[in-house]
Amino acid sequence: MNPLLSRRQLLLTSVVAPFANAQSIGISGPVGHKILVIGAGLAGLNAALILEQWGFDVEVVEARDRVGGRLWTLDHMPGAPEGGGNVIGSGYGRVIYRAHELDVPLRTPPSALPSDYQIGGQRIPRSDWAVADANPLPDDWREIHPERLLAKLNEDNPLLKTRAWHHVDLMAQDQPADVGLRSLGFPESAIRLINANNSYGNHLSDTSLMGLYRVLGEFGRLSGPALAVTEVTQGNMRLPEAMANRLTRPVSLNEPVLRIRQTPAGIKATLTSGRTLDADAAVIAVPLPALGQIALDLPPDRRALLKSVAYHKVVQLHCIVDEPFWEAAGWSGSWWTDGQLGRIFTRPIPDSTRHNMTIWINGDDCDRLNALDADACTDMILSALWKLVPEAKGVTSVGQLVRWTTDPFAGGAWALWKPGQAGSAHDAIRAPTGRLFFAGEHTAEAYRGMEAAMESGERAALEVMRLLA
Amino acid sequence: MRRAAGHRIGLGLIVCLLDTAPMAEPLSGEALFAVACEACHSLGPEPDHRIGPPLGGLHGRKAAGVRGFGYSPALQASGWVWTLPTTVAWLSDPDAAIPNNAMNYVNALSAEETQRLAEWLLAQPSD
Repeated sequence: MNPLLSRRQLLLTSVVAPFANAQSIGISGPVGHKILVIGAGLAGLNAALILEQWGFDVEVVEARDRVGGRLWTLDHMPGAPEGGGNVIGSGYGRVIYRAHELDVPLRTPPSALPSDYQIGGQRIPRSDWAVADANPLPDDWREIHPERLLAKLNEDNPLLKTRAWHHVDLMAQDQPADVGLRSLGFPESAIRLINANNSYGNHLSDTSLMGLYRVLGEFGRLSGPALAVTEVTQGNMRLPEAMANRLTRPVSLNEPVLRIRQTPAGIKATLTSGRTLDADAAVIAVPLPALGQIALDLPPDRRALLKSVAYHKVVQLHCIVDEPFWEAAGWSGSWWTDGQLGRIFTRPIPDSTRHNMTIWINGDDCDRLNALDADACTDMILSALWKLVPEAKGVTSVGQLVRWTTDPFAGGAWALWKPGQAGSAHDAIRAPTGRLFFAGEHTAEAYRGMEAAMESGERAALEVMRLLA
Repeated sequence: MRRAAGHRIGLGLIVCLLDTAPMAEPLSGEALFAVACEACHSLGPEPDHRIGPPLGGLHGRKAAGVRGFGYSPALQASGWVWTLPTTVAWLSDPDAAIPNNAMNYVNALSAEETQRLAEWLLAQPSD
């Protein structure tokens, strides 16, 4: 007999030992509870799979006509580029586990071509960066390439030894990133370049410095035992599709939720289709802008908090390039610009002579693009592309415009924390209220991206199990 | 659905139970492991596709002790041995236990759940 086992555990173990499957183990309360999961992205699907594994009757409803949420493989384009989440980090244990469990193969992605620069209207070959006249950085910074400037923060990162990125004490030291970078000795020219393609805020003035430390701390941490990043071989969407297919009940698509009411013994959801669904609890796994469209019994301050979290603005124009037009001109094929086009990532399509080219514009630069209709937005981006690289015209065609901000079921690419905001807001936005539980990447503690969604689904499932298992 | 009929029949009873006893029985160590650990750690003796080291036969094992696994320098230098106190401390707050470790994990468990999980985990043999 193991002295570490309590009497209660021994009793439980002996009771459940005859059951070979794990579904019965540890569940001694009433079973058969129905859980409604709202949102069939990775967060909702992971919560659904865990809850179903543990004996709950799970129904998933999804507003879109597909599962996956902010994973969106553009299957209609050659090369099937990713319009949403694109990288599976080497530390994304839950994503990797699910992929393996569901026989969804992963691969090392084809590398994007190296970037040259377009700074202040001047083209700079990558190899000339340090010596180019158009490099705006002071002498002791000139050798740092624009995309590497922010990594300087890791030289003294208070979060390298902790994951308490939203701890109230650390948040008390938080400040707008531009102010913080200035106080740390970053030159104005470096701050302007970082702001030009800042993936972690819409403008450095409303970006959390601690949020930047968090991102860079993750990169710094992974530089030790890190393995190569991966992607799903046939497109990242295959993972949520496989997760959905594993569920007993098919996911109900095209079913936006209108309102959720709590009753003493459960919840009642009304869908825009008119259907009503009763359940013992609900896991709400949708981005905050989508959550704001659902009528919920929430206190006014909680509702105001949900609306106060900003989302990252991203516009992508996914193109197909028939011929490598950059080669004759001596360019590398990708570009990093401080202008309207942001960054251009070009990567070869395996077993083809063609390339996928993604023009990736983010932050407040998206505002004027998002104010246009899709055709006008596409035309504006293409005009800028022809101006940057006239050689692209004639061999480059448009496959898909992706605008996460104007997507009513996303509202942006990922949640952003304003300076100091996460100190109180991060805990508050994910706290269960009665029989409502909250998941989604914005509620995760340790990770960002796809793994954050998975982590949050796991935590929400645990909360449901505590209440009802 | 396989439980739907029972659900309908038993709904009234369940509602009564929930109204009077909204919290379920505590989750077992095995349940907690399955939800919170299993995606990254097996209970087998050798590393597999999971990103964390296998945890079978953990009791008394030296920290960073699975050969060929990419541990952080901090854990390798810790001198820790996995016993109930060290396992509870590690699970409760890995960063406080051994700063700059490689396990990107924030504990979502209560103190009681952490204790229960650690006790169960340390009782697991190496398969």
